[in-house]
Amino acid sequence: MIELKHDELSFSFPEVHPDAKLSLNLQRTLRIPDDGNDYPLPPGLGAFPLRHVDDFASRLPELWKKHGGVMLPMYQSEALWVNLNGRYPFAVKVATGKINALTGESWADGLHRDPQDYMVTPDQPWLDGYCVEKGTIRQFVAMPLGGGYTVEEQITGEAEHGGLQIVVYPMKAQAYRELYVREGETVFSVALDMDSMALSAPAQSAPDMGLAPGGRMKQEIFDDPHDFDVWDTRASARCFVHITNSLAWRAVTGEEPPTTPLTSREYQEAGLPWFDYYGGDREALEGAKKLADLKTVKETGEEKGEQPLPENEPVEDPVVITLGGEGEGRPVREGRF
Amino acid sequence: MQTFGQFIRARRESLRKTDPTYSVRQVAKRMGIQPSYLSKVERGEVSPPSEETTRKLAHELGVDSDMLLAMAGKVSSDLQDVIRKRPVLFGELIRELKEMPDHAVLRLVREVRDGEW
Repeated sequence: MIELKHDELSFSFPEVHPDAKLSLNLQRTLRIPDDGNDYPLPPGLGAFPLRHVDDFASRLPELWKKHGGVMLPMYQSEALWVNLNGRYPFAVKVATGKINALTGESWADGLHRDPQDYMVTPDQPWLDGYCVEKGTIRQFVAMPLGGGYTVEEQITGEAEHGGLQIVVYPMKAQAYRELYVREGETVFSVALDMDSMALSAPAQSAPDMGLAPGGRMKQEIFDDPHDFDVWDTRASARCFVHITNSLAWRAVTGEEPPTTPLTSREYQEAGLPWFDYYGGDREALEGAKKLADLKTVKETGEEKGEQPLPENEPVEDPVVITLGGEGEGRPVREGRF
Repeated sequence: MQTFGQFIRARRESLRKTDPTYSVRQVAKRMGIQPSYLSKVERGEVSPPSEETTRKLAHELGVDSDMLLAMAGKVSSDLQDVIRKRPVLFGELIRELKEMPDHAVLRLVREVRDGEW
């Protein structure tokens, strides 16, 4: 089952194992420059608010009601990352506009090993974008659906689904007992909470948003180290996360959306750190050519004669802190700056 | 019945058996508090920490924050807000539910609805 608790999706499978729990939130973050350079991991700036679609059904499109799930607000060209927390191993599949973020393939039920279309927790603590090359992702950046920027529109030619789709499969209880409980694998614990920051909001357009490929970031998506049959494919839970622009969010929910995050340059000028993740000897997946061949937000904008990224200057010599190795999570600075 | 401090220590020590990063020092470091303070909390030498720190502790130890807050004698501020907004309704509801068995209460837990897509 999936519950919504404090802006986190809480997946639990008590019928599989009492420990089979995974929580997932979507973190606000800096949009890294879309300039061809490889950037380190930006920080988490706190979780996006999540609300049940059913709570606002009368004010939402029919298709959203049909999809069910939850919704969140984003500004145009704002970035997000998927933050995964939990000790129990899960196979987690993430798609945007029903296009798999690791393979570029259309949504398909179940798990696939070749090419691997899922991540494995707790080894994989987060996902910041589309897996375009081994060790490199392109950041998830929100753009209005219908503008031709999103991965969905570039691959299918249609602006139909938008949003983010997530499905998780727990490890079978017997495999968990054998692999983790007895051997005592390292666990990750990521504590994330941060106040929002006040900045001016960019222009708004259509209420329905999708995700598009932004700047390049160093991030490995790890190969599944387990036998494929450890995953309990009979037990799964999935959620459609709709993305609405922030103006529509206010109109639909009556709540103020979060303020826009700092730009990369402002963050850099404040002398704040970026992050790198040490994944030990874990193997990384090759990227998907289908995703690597897509145009970035900047490239699509140039073709259309638009400037969708108002702040896109390179960040030079970022201060980088290496995480990982000792179960260390991706920290979030506390307080305001 | 275990006290708040005893529960924290037992849970942390249990995690530490399979992961050395659950030492007092490292847990305190990750939470941004002094190891000596965490140690005093575990020994019951100080009152349970603030709601914010209790939440961090719950997250760090992988336990439910509402349960830990209740052990600390507190009610989560968001729950207080919920009750304050509709005090009569929620007062009645909670009293109605107090004798209900867990499995019956769990039927009221709201799941995120999955639709067709």
